[in-house]
Amino acid sequence: MASYTEDELKKKIRGGYILESPEEMTPGYRRALIVQLTVQADTELMSAPAYWFAARHAPSTNTQVSAHAIIQDELAHANIAYRLLEDLGVSKEHLVYGREPHEFKHPYGFDQPLDNWAELVVANGFFDRAGICLLGDVHRNTSYGPLKRALVKVDMEETFHLRHGEVWMRRLARAGGAATELLQRCVDWMFPMTIEWFGLPDDLKHHSGQLDYKLKGLTNDELRQVWMSSTVPLCEGLGLSVPAHYDEEADEYVLEYPFPCEYDPDAKRWLFDDGEITWQAVFERWKGRGPMNEIYVDSVRRSRGSVASWLN
Amino acid sequence: MSTGLGEGVYEVFARKRRGEPLRHIGYIDAPGDELARVYAWKTYDEESWFEMCVVPRGAVIPVNRVEGPWAKNVPEEADGP
Repeated sequence: MASYTEDELKKKIRGGYILESPEEMTPGYRRALIVQLTVQADTELMSAPAYWFAARHAPSTNTQVSAHAIIQDELAHANIAYRLLEDLGVSKEHLVYGREPHEFKHPYGFDQPLDNWAELVVANGFFDRAGICLLGDVHRNTSYGPLKRALVKVDMEETFHLRHGEVWMRRLARAGGAATELLQRCVDWMFPMTIEWFGLPDDLKHHSGQLDYKLKGLTNDELRQVWMSSTVPLCEGLGLSVPAHYDEEADEYVLEYPFPCEYDPDAKRWLFDDGEITWQAVFERWKGRGPMNEIYVDSVRRSRGSVASWLN
Repeated sequence: MSTGLGEGVYEVFARKRRGEPLRHIGYIDAPGDELARVYAWKTYDEESWFEMCVVPRGAVIPVNRVEGPWAKNVPEEADGP
């Protein structure tokens, strides 16, 4: 059994070493990987009820099928990530069924209601794109072999979700009138929601080790830029306004609103006029969870107790 | 490891098309062989597989490696490959 110090393992990883089993991990590596996989699994799992509630607004049988195909993918991705955690000695049973709803680690965006078809397709276009940015980076860079292989399927399917979102955003944008107005309204709350999703800016980020262990390759700010570099041109091309633009001099996308700022979940509105808030305040909002948190968590596990009791 | 509903782990292998190797593509928890077939087919549906099969994790016997998910399946009397 391999036994490395933290520094030895980091050095090996910098040289391209791929870990294939938990026995090769240092405590620091294992801890960082568990945090990463828990966020990944919880995000996939909680996207399912968010999309499932919204799929009721699908306008045809075809769109019902595609919406539910996406939900099925998300559940499979969650299942795979929890299975990887189980191999690290973390109980899937506890993670899915033993925690309080507020203890799940998914982003605040998946605590929000998606109230119509436009919100679902913009979620596909924005949230699933964030998933591709984050997981695509993990896929290219991770030093954990089993995760790298598992992400082949995930990346392939998330790309389909994104395409679904883009195609439908285009249809709604072309329709004009009420459809385009509704689309703009979605973009107004979901664009900043996704920006916030990428987390603390690099200059404030506490060093987590995820980069040293090559559990990912890009920093939060870099990933935010990657997301904006495809989202902003998409929206501009559709005639939708977004609170960000490309700054040629800085050679990067810049936000046109105070970041971070406060959000009113009932009105689905960002309070740009109230100015910048601290990240501490953002973490408190996240920790307090959003309006659908308990409903979503309950919806994926409500029958567990009764069925388990019939079987045991 | 059991998962509450009496499930065990199955390894999933698949071949994309004729002439290609059978590859390990993932894992699934299932309470028995029949549901393992269903869960694997429904979970790993990203390709139109030419061939897919599942193997209970306990049935995979490692030959040279002494760590990883199958390590505990090394027969007791074994002393190397």
